[in-house]
Order: sequence, then C-alpha cells, then structure tokens
Amino acid sequence: MSSFEKVGDGYSLDLTLDEAHILINLVEQLLELLGEGDFFHHYDSSDPLAQLLAMPSEIVTPDDPVLLRLLPNAYADPEAASDFRRYTEPQLRGSKQRNLRLIREELTILVDENHGGVIEELDADIWLKALNDLRIALSVRLEINENSFDKFELLPDEDPQKPVYAVYFWLGWLQENLLGLLL
Amino acid sequence: MAKTALKAEVDISELIDRPWITIVWDDPVNLMSYVTHVFIKLFGFSKERAHELMMQVHNEGRAVVSSGTREEMERDVQRLHENGLWATLQRDDKI
Repeated sequence: MSSFEKVGDGYSLDLTLDEAHILINLVEQLLELLGEGDFFHHYDSSDPLAQLLAMPSEIVTPDDPVLLRLLPNAYADPEAASDFRRYTEPQLRGSKQRNLRLIREELTILVDENHGGVIEELDADIWLKALNDLRIALSVRLEINENSFDKFELLPDEDPQKPVYAVYFWLGWLQENLLGLLL
Repeated sequence: MAKTALKAEVDISELIDRPWITIVWDDPVNLMSYVTHVFIKLFGFSKERAHELMMQVHNEGRAVVSSGTREEMERDVQRLHENGLWATLQRDDKI
C-alpha cells in the first residue's frame, strides 16, 4: 500500500507504477478543465484599460459544477461575486494549476522510469492542496454526499462508477495519511 | 430642510461601523482533519480552537472564521478558496 512518510524534516511518497498512472491521469483531466496554457487567452476583452492591464473585463461564473466548486462565488450577491471574480479568479485558477503541474512533474519522473518508487522531499502543502482539488473534482462528478459510502458498497462490481469511487476513497486515504504526519 | 432630506437618503447601514465576516460552509467532501489543518495554517488558531470551529462547520453547516475590513475578508476568502474550502464574505448581520 502506498503511503506518505516523514523523512527527517521532509516528506516522501511511495507509489506503485499503476498508482502514479492513475494520479497523472486525474491531474491531466483537471488541468484540462482548468485550462492549460495562457489563462488570458480564454477571455476576450474589448476594454482598452483591461487589455493594457491584461485584466479580463468580465469573467463569467463557470457553468461546469466542478469549476464552480473549485472557483466558487465569494459573495451571495451576484454582482459583488462577479466583480470579485474578475479581479481574483485568474490568481486562484493559477494557484491550482501550479500545484497540479508540480505534482504531475514529480509523478512523471516515476512513470518515465517505468517503475513505481518514492517521491522524495515533496512539498506537503502543495500535495495536500492538489489531492484535495482532485477529490473535490471527483466528488462533484460522483455526486458525493453523507451516504455515499453505503451507496458505493452496494454497487455491483461491474458498475462503471465503482472504480471511480474506489479512487475517490483512495485519495481521501492518502490525504488523511499525510495529514496524520503533519498534525 | 434640504439638508435633512439629503441625509435621509444615505444608506443607514453605511453609517454604522459593522465589520465584515468570513464564513466557511460545510461540504460532504473535505476531511475534518484537513479543515482543521487549514484553519491552523491560515489563521494561526490553536489546535483546540481550529477543531472547535471545524466541528461548528460540520454540525451547524457554517462558522464565522474571521472578521475585519472588507479587504481583509476578501483576502481570507481567497486563501480559503486556494485551499479548497467553500467560503464567502458578508457584512456582519449583528449590530
């Protein structure tokens, strides 16, 4: 079983090749949803001042429920929420992308060497945040609620959602494992 | 007389110095230990205080985690969002 370990002042993660592949796959999917590359290309702006400041004149509230959960409204009032989003969403999105790219880099090294192994001296805070965002993304797709564990247990093995649930619970286990070392 | 009429148009809420608050909302996904960890990391709470607030979120559906100026609360909400917690800010309802 893969696990995080405390090594001196740092942390490491031991993964099998299959586990590394699963994580990379999830990271890729979430990065695609968040939009890789230059963020500002996603937004057209006709406001000359906004163009000058590379600031989008408007950022629409995401339609995708995963994005809306990862980049939530800061205000109940739609106008205030939209205004806040305009100034802060690029930074929030960028921070999530950076975390995901960093763990992808570390995972890719394991996969490229075609074996599992240990990621040494990893940044525990970045891993926690990235694992959390991956869990949130899966939870929205799986419509996780308080009764999900029972539902998962009752699913027949051939149900296509069963392995996704398994990955979701595994991510929670990994996160709990790392938190146990930090708290 | 005119002065009085003008005054009456001023939004009364702007005259009362009420602080802004940051609220964290419950969700069925974030681990209890993770929420506690984020509270300690972002706000420097003791383990006990962080645990207490986390339990309040869990049991009551929400908890106020900080209060101050609007700018300060916007910063707190942004940091909470960076850590995957569901947070909003608003003016304090209590006068």
